[in-house]
Amino acid sequence: MSIEADLILAQWLSPAYPVGAFSYSHGLEQVVADGAARDAGSFSQWLSDILEHGGGHSDAILLACAYRAEADQVEEIDATARALAPSSERQLETTQQGAAFAATTEAVFGPELGHLTYPVALGRAARLQGLPLEKTIAFYLHAFASNLSSAAIRLVPLGQTEGQKVLHALLPLCQSIAGSAQHMTLDDIGSSVFAADIASMRHESLYSRLFRS
Amino acid sequence: MLFPRGPREVVQAVMLNTSGGVTGGDHLEAQITAGPGSALTVTSQAAERIYRSGDGRDGQVINRIAAETGATLHWLPQETIVFDGARLDRRLDIDLTDDAHFLMVEPILFGRLAMGETVQQAHIRDHITLRRGGKLIFADRTRLTDDVQALLDRAATGGSARAMASVLMVRPDAETMLPKLRALLPETGGATLLAPDILFARILAPDGHDLRTTLIPALHLLGGADLPRTWML
Repeated sequence: MSIEADLILAQWLSPAYPVGAFSYSHGLEQVVADGAARDAGSFSQWLSDILEHGGGHSDAILLACAYRAEADQVEEIDATARALAPSSERQLETTQQGAAFAATTEAVFGPELGHLTYPVALGRAARLQGLPLEKTIAFYLHAFASNLSSAAIRLVPLGQTEGQKVLHALLPLCQSIAGSAQHMTLDDIGSSVFAADIASMRHESLYSRLFRS
Repeated sequence: MLFPRGPREVVQAVMLNTSGGVTGGDHLEAQITAGPGSALTVTSQAAERIYRSGDGRDGQVINRIAAETGATLHWLPQETIVFDGARLDRRLDIDLTDDAHFLMVEPILFGRLAMGETVQQAHIRDHITLRRGGKLIFADRTRLTDDVQALLDRAATGGSARAMASVLMVRPDAETMLPKLRALLPETGGATLLAPDILFARILAPDGHDLRTTLIPALHLLGGADLPRTWML
């Protein structure tokens, strides 16, 4: 099962899986426009803070809670995920990717997911497929970081190799968040990335945009 | 709780913490309801100071506020000031009926720059939860631990700010207020519509004075003429 589980996670969290991740920047496009992410060093710090103190950490906990939940508790966890979105574009990011993930996964793998936000849909699907929780969270965080790294490569003077170096340096962080978040509850959710929230709000009125968030 | 007298259609309630602040092991609870058709504005007499926790325990603050049918509730406390060594676990639970109107500001300062105060070590958990007709529609969860100052110096967190405010409004005219509010915000502030009638804004500022400079016109815009004196220009 272990190799099969890894392969299913690789498929679900691959950029080829049609959730449309490439069109969301989590506010990074505004951060770049403001000059706060301008090279590998500043981007890497921004991304590691999002993972550790922001959306990465919150999503990891939401995923874990959805995974451990019984069917009748999933809706409440999903309502929390929706209520936590700090801006209309971040709402879009989690609901649209969730809907696309659920639609494809239902059609290909069969579990009934319904309308769920992205981390909740993934947590529920992993539970129904019998995939290991910690690994699912690690794959999710890695895909999240990888997607934002490719967004950065498109937005910042950051080369392909530099982008991969940033991502590689964040692997231990993805692992440690997965290790701790798997045991956490909704009460453990907490963020301190206020500037990132504000950037995602301001992105709504950014003049020229490549990304939907 | 004080109720300043005077002829007005909006009832003003002023919270007063007679102990002068919150420290480890404190437990403060308040429950406030704006009854059907009423208009209630709640503020605080002074900034709420969160002092060093002597025994490593959290200070707990739980505020449960509600607006019943046709009511307007404004929750406009003054700043919460976090001191070095503070431990705070705070919850604000808001319960609205489907047609109630609501406006909230929650400003928080991490030390006071002008006084040379810094926050090297603190543990802050702040939960804001809003339900309408029993349904969860907004949740904000703040968590700052350990070296708060170093944390806030980074670009994704505070961008070196020492003051932050959250503003939340639930009202049918939220959508028309959005561009007007945005026009009042500095680059370190943002506003968004979470639903056609739910407006949320976050503002960062170098210190409490700069934060007020932004908040006062913003609250005038959103709150109209009935602001408590503490938020007047």
